[in-house]
Amino acid sequence: MTPLESISEKLGTTEPWIQKGGVHWLTLGATNVRELAKAMNELHARFITITAYQLPKNEGFRLEYHWDLDGQLLGFSFPLAAHSIDSIFDLCEAADWIEREIHEEYSLDFQGREYEPLLLRQGDTLGVNLRDAVAASNTVAVSQEKK
Amino acid sequence: MSYKIPMGPYHPALEEPYKLDLICEGETVIDAQLHIGFNFRGIEHLAETRNYIQVIALMERVCGICSNIHTLTLCNAMEGLTGLTPPPRAQYIRVIMAELERLHSHVLWAGIAAKLMGFKTMFMTCFELREKVMDVLQAISGNRVNYSMNRIGGVNRDITDPQSILRLVEALELEMGRTVIPIFTTSRTARSRCAGIGVLTTEKAVALGVVGPVARASGLPQDLRRAAPYAAYTEMDFDVPVQPAGDVTARLLVRALEIMESCKILRQALSKLPPGEIATEGEKFVFTTGTATARVEAPRGEVMYSVSWKEGSRNPARVHVRTPTFAVMPAIRWMVKGARLADTPLIQASIDPCYSCTDR
Repeated sequence: MTPLESISEKLGTTEPWIQKGGVHWLTLGATNVRELAKAMNELHARFITITAYQLPKNEGFRLEYHWDLDGQLLGFSFPLAAHSIDSIFDLCEAADWIEREIHEEYSLDFQGREYEPLLLRQGDTLGVNLRDAVAASNTVAVSQEKK
Repeated sequence: MSYKIPMGPYHPALEEPYKLDLICEGETVIDAQLHIGFNFRGIEHLAETRNYIQVIALMERVCGICSNIHTLTLCNAMEGLTGLTPPPRAQYIRVIMAELERLHSHVLWAGIAAKLMGFKTMFMTCFELREKVMDVLQAISGNRVNYSMNRIGGVNRDITDPQSILRLVEALELEMGRTVIPIFTTSRTARSRCAGIGVLTTEKAVALGVVGPVARASGLPQDLRRAAPYAAYTEMDFDVPVQPAGDVTARLLVRALEIMESCKILRQALSKLPPGEIATEGEKFVFTTGTATARVEAPRGEVMYSVSWKEGSRNPARVHVRTPTFAVMPAIRWMVKGARLADTPLIQASIDPCYSCTDR
């Protein structure tokens, strides 16, 4: 059994792995992110990062979780209908900083954990990378330049 | 009774701004809190406003020391979206630049570590060597910091006289083998200052997902040049130095040995440099809709870029950068626990942190 097949077996999925853009992707269906993190721990996969995407218009967000298994880059995508997802910090310590960063940049909530400030200082608002927030700050900057 | 000592964000022991709150009992550190974000520039978002040429120049500025690695990883990802494959000569030149940058980074770090050990003569020696590495980089690229070497589908400048570069590399190797390596590996000053401090156990290194020389100094033999080769690394013969102790000495040894391995790779790449084009000249390309991810072994460890593009768009839809220091820095908290207060500057420097990269 290949390492990828053993992941599928652990997660109880028959979906095929798709290699695209340098990543081995697996569609997870009903599997939640905590079950995934537990499976990755059991296989001794190395957590790499989470990438947050703000989708166009008001379609919400997508989070992509990446692990490394023997040099193979694995990817799992989670669409977010609401602004929250379960935290994996207690299962995967390596996810601590990236969860905190995404929380501050996109104002997303990782449920089941507390946050210490990472990038932002006291008094700063969450969501500095949100499209609306950046557009608003650019408008302020331009109007200040005009003055 | 415990008390808190704030170190930073601006402090003589820190090369760049970040804050370490050290909780101490007497002279012993019992815990620490880290604060970053003092260099936060929103580069990832800024990248979404740049076209495919501008974004390379922008991402080169994520880091002042491993600037070439950032453009290499970005170009690898963008090549995944355009279907372009750089010609063999360009792949070799990418290896040469990456290894010269590793030499530059490691020698710079060795100088800073020497300074923090109170070994000023060694600091001067390392910085003199660093100048020579930068001379080689300048001879190839015309620049000393931001080299502007990578482009989609290849590199911007050729190495027209590899033999002259090879002579410079051999001179560097000789000097490093004569001074830096023996002193760092055998000197009693270095050993007494570094041995047994700032220990990161293998188990903790695995749990924290640390990368690069810090992982290898904690007994983890991970190196993307070997595990997931890119550019022309499949054609290079080299060893991956691993040390099990997890202390500052182990990190010192790993980097010292990596300097010699980089020289070995450079000798191979320069002597086997294949003829031909350095870029896919004149080949038209378009970005397809989707996301491509690339990983590269930077001097400090794994760099990962995820680049998303929408076909027909001038700019990327998203560029996410996971830098090595972002993965390694949380380990400082565990390294300084139980350490003497006076050792903390050297311990935090032993991970070779880059806050510019981390904050982005």
